[in-house]
Amino acid sequence: MTVIRFRVNGTARTLDAHPSTPLLWVLRDHLGLTGTKYGCGIAQCGACTVHLNGQAVRSCQVPLETLRGADVVTIEGLSRDGDHVLQKLWAEMNVPQCGYCQAGMLMTAAGLLKTSPHPTDAEIDNALSNICRCGTYPRVRAALRRAAQQPPGTGGKVSHG
Amino acid sequence: MADTAPDTAMGAALSLSRRAFLLSVSATAGGMALGIMPPAASGADGAGAEFSAWVVIGRDDTVIIRVPTPEIGNGAMTQVAMNVTEELACAWSRVRVEFGAIHRDYLEKGVYSAGFLPFFAGHGTDRQRMKRALQLGASARERLKVAAATRWKAAAADIDAQDGVLTHKPTGRRLRYGQVAAEAARVELAVEPTLKPESDWTFLGKASPAKLNTPDIVTGRLVFGIDVRQPGMVHAALRQPPVHGGKVKSVDADAVRGMPGVRAVVIIDPANTKGAPIRPKATFTLGDTTAQWGVAVIADHYWQAKMALDALPVDWDANPAAAAFATVEHIRAAVDARLDKAEGRVLRKAGDVAATSGARVVDGVYATPYCENAAMEPLNATALVTADGAEVWCPTQDQQQAYWVVIDETGLPPESVKLHQTFVGGGFGRRTQADDVRMAVAVAKAYPGVPVKTIWSREECFRQGRYRTPITSRFRAVLDDGTGLPAAVEAEACFTGSRPTFHLTMGFDDVPYFTSGIVPNVLIRSSAQPVHVLNGAWRGPCYNSHAFIVETFIDECAHAAGADPLDYRLRLVNTWDQSWSDCLRTAARHAGWGRQLPRGEGLGIAISGWPQAAVHAMGTIVCTVAHVAVSPAGEIRVKKIDVAFDCGRVANRDAVAAQLEGGTLFGLNAALQEELTLVDGAVVEANFDQYPMLRLADTPPIDIHFDALSGHSRMDIVGEAPVGPVSAAVGNAIFSAIGKRVRGTPFSRHDLRWI
Repeated sequence: MTVIRFRVNGTARTLDAHPSTPLLWVLRDHLGLTGTKYGCGIAQCGACTVHLNGQAVRSCQVPLETLRGADVVTIEGLSRDGDHVLQKLWAEMNVPQCGYCQAGMLMTAAGLLKTSPHPTDAEIDNALSNICRCGTYPRVRAALRRAAQQPPGTGGKVSHG
Repeated sequence: MADTAPDTAMGAALSLSRRAFLLSVSATAGGMALGIMPPAASGADGAGAEFSAWVVIGRDDTVIIRVPTPEIGNGAMTQVAMNVTEELACAWSRVRVEFGAIHRDYLEKGVYSAGFLPFFAGHGTDRQRMKRALQLGASARERLKVAAATRWKAAAADIDAQDGVLTHKPTGRRLRYGQVAAEAARVELAVEPTLKPESDWTFLGKASPAKLNTPDIVTGRLVFGIDVRQPGMVHAALRQPPVHGGKVKSVDADAVRGMPGVRAVVIIDPANTKGAPIRPKATFTLGDTTAQWGVAVIADHYWQAKMALDALPVDWDANPAAAAFATVEHIRAAVDARLDKAEGRVLRKAGDVAATSGARVVDGVYATPYCENAAMEPLNATALVTADGAEVWCPTQDQQQAYWVVIDETGLPPESVKLHQTFVGGGFGRRTQADDVRMAVAVAKAYPGVPVKTIWSREECFRQGRYRTPITSRFRAVLDDGTGLPAAVEAEACFTGSRPTFHLTMGFDDVPYFTSGIVPNVLIRSSAQPVHVLNGAWRGPCYNSHAFIVETFIDECAHAAGADPLDYRLRLVNTWDQSWSDCLRTAARHAGWGRQLPRGEGLGIAISGWPQAAVHAMGTIVCTVAHVAVSPAGEIRVKKIDVAFDCGRVANRDAVAAQLEGGTLFGLNAALQEELTLVDGAVVEANFDQYPMLRLADTPPIDIHFDALSGHSRMDIVGEAPVGPVSAAVGNAIFSAIGKRVRGTPFSRHDLRWI
């Protein structure tokens, strides 16, 4: 066991668990943040995507021992009131079906918008490699294209244009 | 680590067994006291006034609608709430939805299932179920009116109900629903109100609200089965025999005894299934849900359980029945030999196929492989088994099935079993049988008094599937020398798998081509090849294969006759429902059927119907046109898909479109790249690195067209139907593009190079 200190959604956390424990299971089992999902455990599906020090990563591949001093943001911390531009668009455009993969989709998409606020269609296709078995891809793509068209500086507002 | 188990709740014998480390026998005794009191049948339940098991209205005007249908992503839960809302005339913004409980249904003698099975899959627009939901809404609305009338000393007939507000029309006085809910819940109506005519609907068919659970999805708050947390809960990782039907020979539990957090190793022996004390009312019966042998490690956290299970030495006895079927090629050889005999059971016979002759004969064998449902939420359930009862939280597709599986596995009387439906992270048929629930209960009953969450790893899900039933079919047609249409069709479908529940013929012998009389001579048979690999339900069970096979075969007939595939199909369905012709024409028109395309590109068309094709104005008919490009190197790219359909009418247009998009992609993935294989009788593919899934970048534009809707009064189910035709449409487009005929999926395994 190793004691690790890091931050999750702005809150300081201290954890004493096996150093190999993936961040995914740290979040789910130890911290009770179950919005981050287990889908494959091998970084294929992206359901476990979180932001680690500002980057979208697959948390099933991040062992606890590497988290010392890290800053983690999960779906629960993406916005304070569920009003991130993507969360609003996801609801407005009826993107989710079962919803299981959508936290990972949203965190991946939000990561893309951070690095590229107005992504091209090709950037969207390349960045969103998450698996959705329900087949929400057409709507994920449509919602992200809408987000990509947001004029600069609109922050969290949804454009209805 | 502190033991948080409520030991005091258990008998001494159970505490003793808890101290054991290697657990192989269920410690649950039979003949227990009943543990669950029936909830109050009516009246306030703390949060609000309960009008029925379905409807609760709070003082703050919140309307809770309890729905017994699961929410698997198709919006069924929201649809049922919409149905109630239409008649209740409450404000949609105040509607909350919860899952009705199957144990309450049992205790209160069918409060959620009166007149129909409400649990399976969740067809929110089924005629009977819809009528019942509308009636529940109407009944609550009238009781609210009576309560307001009593308070105002007015006539109920003078009261209008709208958007959650009761208005006394003569005086304009108003009350909100919440203000009279408590009184209204005590009102008994002498006569049930008549439903308003559908032409007066203001919500159904008019609005397309998002699913009520969408806000919780996008914030990560939605509780799927895998997210359930109970006080003192521990976690289990499970492994079943690599070769289905195998047994545990030996386990070296001491090897993991000292690993962090590990509490116990459980051996699951199917002989420990107790059996239901009364005749089970499981939706699908229990025959396909029997426990498999297995080992599980229980630990404080899942990662600990998984690490220990990975380190646990287990010897398996292979299933001797698997020896003959080491690979899928062995199975295919047995299937081919069976088809060569042509001794299958006759499903349909007309005229005399043997006496039919013609110059042009079309003859082919078509096949689909094993596929895994691969719902994104891995299989799991949380179970607490005590001396007094069992409580289970699970993401099932069918509460009724899961409930009786728990009863059967524990031997407990139904009144002492509680089942909690959670949200479901995809089902696609895999969660209909509740074998997943049974295994979790089998683990938990060996560790009584503590809630145990059992998670199947992704690898376990892949290797312990209840897979798509592979179907291999031989089709032979003799074409009429004059018209080119089939004068005779002879066919046999051979189902691979020992489970006859999933030897379904929808989309095979019931297509209008073979039932309408347009083909005068028909002989259709089915047979089955038993194997050890377990088959089950996979979105649009068996239909998904039949539709591919029949529509590929018909396409071959069209080309053999020198006819345009669209025109040929139109002639074949000419004497059948207009709907089929309309769907064909609509999809073709939108796709630009008949236009010139560059070399290596082609359009393909296919049509099928689920769950009924041979009954007039029933089921959902889907026609799919695919635009496909095949590179000279043989790589397939689907450029565009157009879908036309007829399910009668739609209640929620956007929800229907989402289902058609998703079903099309589900079928497309199987068509292009899904196939499980065997080595030494065990499934090889274990995760998405070996079993590819379409990603966003691979997804073509999919246009769903509503202009073939007939407007017939039914609102039939739309989740399964689109899975059928897309594979044939893509295969037929490949033929159109490069002249190579693909008679089996996945197409990615075919050599499609054309230079």
